[in-house]
Amino acid sequence: MKLGRRHFLHGAAGTLVALPMLDSLQVNAQLAAPPKRLVLMYTPNGTIQEAWWPKNVTSPTAFELNTIHTPLEAHKSRLTFLGGVDLAVTGVGPGGPHQRGIGSLFTGRELQVGQFLDGCGRAAGWANGISVDQRIATEVGASVPIKSLELAARSTQADVQSRISYAGPGSPLPPTNTPLEVYNRLFSRLDVPVNVAAQVVARRKSVLDSVQQQYAILKAQVSSHDAEKLEKHLSLVRDLESRLGASAGGGCEKPMSPLSQDPESEPEMPEIVRLHFEFLALAFACDLTRVGSLQISTALNRIRYPWLGSLGNGHTLSHSGDSDTTANAEIVTRHTWHSQMLAHFLDSLAAISEGEGSVLDNTLLVWGSEVSKGNLHTLTNMPWVIAGTLGSRVPGGRYLQFNGAPHSQLLLSLLHAFDVADNSFGHPDYASGELPGLLA
Amino acid sequence: MRVPLAQLTVPLLGTWLVASGCQKGSAGVTTEPKTEPAVISFADCQAGPVPGEAPLRLLTRRAYDNSVADILGDLGNASAAFPPENQLLGFNTNAEAHQASPLLVSEMLSAAEGIAERTVATKLDQIAPCASGATMDCGAEFVREIGRKLFRRPLVAAEEVVFTRLFTETLAQNSYANAISVVLQALLQAPQFLYRVESIRPPLVESGPQLLGPYEMATRLSYFLTESAPDDTLLEAAAQNALGTREALEVQARRLLQLPHARGMVANFHAQWLDTAELGRVIREQAGVTPPANFGSLLQASLASYMDAAFWEKGTFESLFSSDEIFLDAKLAPFFGHAATGEGFSAVSEPKQRFGLLTQPALMVALAHPNQTAPVFRGVFLRQHFLCNEVPPPPPTVNAVAPEPDPKATTRERFRQHTESPVCASCHTLIDPVGFGFENYDQFGRFRTEENGLPVDASGALNDLPETSLNGPFSGPAELAQRISQSTSARDCLATQWYRFAAGRAETAADRCSLRPIQAEFQASGALPEVPLKIALSDAFRYRPPYVLNGGVKP
Repeated sequence: MKLGRRHFLHGAAGTLVALPMLDSLQVNAQLAAPPKRLVLMYTPNGTIQEAWWPKNVTSPTAFELNTIHTPLEAHKSRLTFLGGVDLAVTGVGPGGPHQRGIGSLFTGRELQVGQFLDGCGRAAGWANGISVDQRIATEVGASVPIKSLELAARSTQADVQSRISYAGPGSPLPPTNTPLEVYNRLFSRLDVPVNVAAQVVARRKSVLDSVQQQYAILKAQVSSHDAEKLEKHLSLVRDLESRLGASAGGGCEKPMSPLSQDPESEPEMPEIVRLHFEFLALAFACDLTRVGSLQISTALNRIRYPWLGSLGNGHTLSHSGDSDTTANAEIVTRHTWHSQMLAHFLDSLAAISEGEGSVLDNTLLVWGSEVSKGNLHTLTNMPWVIAGTLGSRVPGGRYLQFNGAPHSQLLLSLLHAFDVADNSFGHPDYASGELPGLLA
Repeated sequence: MRVPLAQLTVPLLGTWLVASGCQKGSAGVTTEPKTEPAVISFADCQAGPVPGEAPLRLLTRRAYDNSVADILGDLGNASAAFPPENQLLGFNTNAEAHQASPLLVSEMLSAAEGIAERTVATKLDQIAPCASGATMDCGAEFVREIGRKLFRRPLVAAEEVVFTRLFTETLAQNSYANAISVVLQALLQAPQFLYRVESIRPPLVESGPQLLGPYEMATRLSYFLTESAPDDTLLEAAAQNALGTREALEVQARRLLQLPHARGMVANFHAQWLDTAELGRVIREQAGVTPPANFGSLLQASLASYMDAAFWEKGTFESLFSSDEIFLDAKLAPFFGHAATGEGFSAVSEPKQRFGLLTQPALMVALAHPNQTAPVFRGVFLRQHFLCNEVPPPPPTVNAVAPEPDPKATTRERFRQHTESPVCASCHTLIDPVGFGFENYDQFGRFRTEENGLPVDASGALNDLPETSLNGPFSGPAELAQRISQSTSARDCLATQWYRFAAGRAETAADRCSLRPIQAEFQASGALPEVPLKIALSDAFRYRPPYVLNGGVKP
């Protein structure tokens, strides 16, 4: 079994080897109820509508998957397509459409005033609120070693067009682009003997205790503005310390280290996406974290996918006219590949047994993009799809229509799916309850 | 809480947008609330220093690595896994944008452990010798000595006691080396190391601008000019309280500018100002053209060499924008039609083909599409980066697509719609005619006189700029570059960019009392190395605002 897990990490290039049953899940089996897990997935610059939305639709539960989602056929019963959900909140605040779209996507908030310029000179700051993954992580991720895991492929810039997750207003969470760094963070201590691990925890605690005392001393010496900044940093140190003792599930074995990857390398991108998804699956299996996100590129997205023969600059492609069938086919090819990567991830989760079922049964993945139609920068009828049913909380196999509902409703439904009892989420002017009928 | 972004008033933005008459209001910048008086009068400046804010600044990855290398001799690139600093106005040194995140805090823990382990394993005898065997005393001495360097000042008693206790408690159950390692881990995660503290709250309310304390001054100077902690000489000067005069500060500033780290700092400024980070892996293509492997990285190095020579050797603004040199190595030289030279990058003249910074191959390649030139990118870049002039955005409904290359037409012909459609023309007359001035440079940065068998027309125009002598048609890149090289607003802009980089924030109204004289001196001298020096000697750099009562409460 354990040998199999190593193979999983080093499967033949281009194919994922499904995860075997993991011993670690015995730990979760002992829990009263299996943990709930959330994944956000982002791909840039919208989609080609005609290849995205289900076809031959005869009822909300009778439809065929379209071209882009064909790799997900085996998981069709776990998919929910959300038609007619708009990023209504993008109607307020500064910034260009890509900035507004990506900033609001998971926060439900407008952008702050700021100095990030988009490609056309429009200026904006960060999103003005917490993102839904972080709100949920506060509830479901309190006792695990890592509150949430932000991952990205080719998102090494540090501006509003490169961030989807926010700890709070103006506080974006930077993702890790390099699988080796993810590996080090997740697994570096997994093969340390228990007594040594306890010593490391004790040592780190005493170091961080001293560090926290230094924060108290310095805070008293600086302005209230600076003290606030220090307090924010200090709270992160406290959070880190509080998680030091949390351990991975017993029997969760250290996988082999991946090779070092260049995060901006074009040819290595598929391997980076694959490794990120694999590590996220393993992190769930080991209960190292319960919330993750994976963003593929940024809203700027000037990248190529040469392994698919797609050699256009992504952003420019997305601006091509509706009649440009060559460009549109390239975009469809890219999204179909995204679906393929997602399908592998879902396969991995399905292969990890947990209780009576699998980790996939207790996971919800939400896939979104910052615009719906790239060439018009449309911010309505966004290409939302949910994968996973979270037990039976979000029944799958559905294509629902919401006729222009603000996406804050979707975000609130996500909170409720995770039993976060908030009454609203996002900008108060656009908060109007759940997305009706999404949750069972 | 203050709203830091609201302070980032950039006066140039607003004034020009109003004058342009296109797309007002949708950019967000015009409606920005101002928290300060919009105008600081000449009289205000005469009354004494008017310093801007002096917020805490989290070390950048560069400053972290340099500090650790200089103080502990650790060259392990410890910050490699830190997330990149948030950029603002093109720079990663912004005090408000660069902030802690869970990932950063977690990686700082790992980095501190790695540095401490390497240090005690390889140079315990150098950093914490204990010949006497009196380990308690040695530990306390280590805390004081390394603490002073990492915190850039002597530790106060309360600080020292915490670290000494940690040392003692660790030593009770571990080796001397382990105890030193643990203390070092704590020092490296202490906020006094991670943050540049440039303003210590005094016991009493103050009135009027305050000269920075000697250690705060040493820290600010050192992290600006060398992106590292103060060296022994500077710390000694601070200990002697010998940094209080402009003259004394100038001696130190000139000394620091001779150090290798200063060259690194200048190169870092140039790379950020010219936005070359993404150039490294750029893809440029055309049937039958094969640039050398790692083309983008080579071009980054080429531009860095050009800027290095312009700043440190030629040293004038005018030569920066007029030199006919480009820098090539053995791999780039053949591609640009020159004989391969020896090791590294060396200057090659291309008379009547290159006209300074604007026409450097690296910029021409960075500002291009994979398969064609990008007059719009080039026009916007020139206005934003060299003239600090923000270009208004297109209407929200515009479909901003570069037309596909047409083998029978020139780029200029294909972009004609921009200036023929009245909607597009309102803004594109400000952009495209500037960008067309660079049509002599293809997407590989090579000089060309023909495109698709048709002659290249590189004439263009600068329009609607506040510096009216810049406006008007030009015949090609030579005249465009010549105009920029003589421009007063381009000089002011470069000084402003340096100021943003140094201050870690956008210039505010309060900064103008310092920025204006820096700009004025630069107008007169045109001396590039004088700009960072004069910033370091300015009132804004030497003073901080007072701590005053704020509704009865000290801020």
